[in-house]
Amino acid sequence: MCQTCGCSLNTGPVELSSDRSPGPGTVVEVLQDLLAANDRVALHNREHFDEHGVLAINLMSSPGAGKTALLEATIMALGNRYRIAVIEGDLETDNDAARIRAHGVPALQITTGTACHLDAHLIHRALHELPLAGLDLLFIENVGNLVCPAGFDLGQHRNVTLLSVTEGDDKPAKYPVMFRACDLVVLSKTDLLDVLDDFDPTRAAAALRALGRDTPMIRTAARRSPAIHAWLDWLEQQLAMRRDTLPWLPAQLGAVAGS
Amino acid sequence: MHELSVCRALLTQVAGIAMDRGASAVERITIEVGPLSGIEPALLAGAFEVLRSGGCAAQAVLSIESPPVMIRCLSCSAHSRTEPNRLVCGACGGFRTQVVAGDELRLRRVELRVPERLPACAN
Repeated sequence: MCQTCGCSLNTGPVELSSDRSPGPGTVVEVLQDLLAANDRVALHNREHFDEHGVLAINLMSSPGAGKTALLEATIMALGNRYRIAVIEGDLETDNDAARIRAHGVPALQITTGTACHLDAHLIHRALHELPLAGLDLLFIENVGNLVCPAGFDLGQHRNVTLLSVTEGDDKPAKYPVMFRACDLVVLSKTDLLDVLDDFDPTRAAAALRALGRDTPMIRTAARRSPAIHAWLDWLEQQLAMRRDTLPWLPAQLGAVAGS
Repeated sequence: MHELSVCRALLTQVAGIAMDRGASAVERITIEVGPLSGIEPALLAGAFEVLRSGGCAAQAVLSIESPPVMIRCLSCSAHSRTEPNRLVCGACGGFRTQVVAGDELRLRRVELRVPERLPACAN
């Protein structure tokens, strides 16, 4: 039984209707998002990132889509030009953090136990153990899960969802909330396309397009002979945009120049 | 599968409102859960049954409203009612659309039992 969602529990008296007027007693109209508390902490996290000029990227996918492998290849390609750190989210083990640390990059493991996603509070706690000063890029590798992580703002600047070609090309149609939440879809393990006859990238792109978003989709192969140029280009673009939109940087430089 | 987390957040919000108003109990909680919120109403209801016990909402009825998914086309401005994974314009077929309903995940209303205030001291 899943201890997080209560999926095997019997439901009690619940109304699934909207045409009932309030009864006697005190009625309080609220109209507040149920995740307002999470969103407040996410905003606070984003302020931390912005204060230090860090670009924070939240990586999401189903388990085994190749998030850690993509990060390893990214560190090998960019590690000598940018200062990178990683927050790893998994239910158990610090295996992924160990893989990242082996490349000389700081990595903090959050083990969520039975929780199926990271939330803003968990990230906030992690930030106090991970010095942001001097960092350019912070990757948050979310728990492998195409459902729950999509609902929780962590304070990231960009959401990236990986879709490996060993999965179905109809994943965007099956998990619309996740694929609507992302700013980029990375088709991963594309070096396997030659031996897989049931994944059609065109169909995957059409399913993504049907979600009413113009989300870009790029291809990567992160293992053996890494081919991740499109991913690296996208990252460089985001870093450049990030530098251009840091309001405090020009002001500080201006103050120094004018003094 | 994150319905328990969301339900905890809901009960925390409701408890705060009940305390602010000096309520003795919560009678009804009305929430909006759209199909694009990523939350399954039946699972949220199951979580509510477990988590409400012992708190001020222990006897409350949870009323869940599920607005259908509505989109507005950014090309032709037509509004269409549609499915969560088919967010293209029903009129012109355009894919540049904006969700105008169906992604809600919010506390709409709380109905409270508030004890009448004791009469002010006559002195």
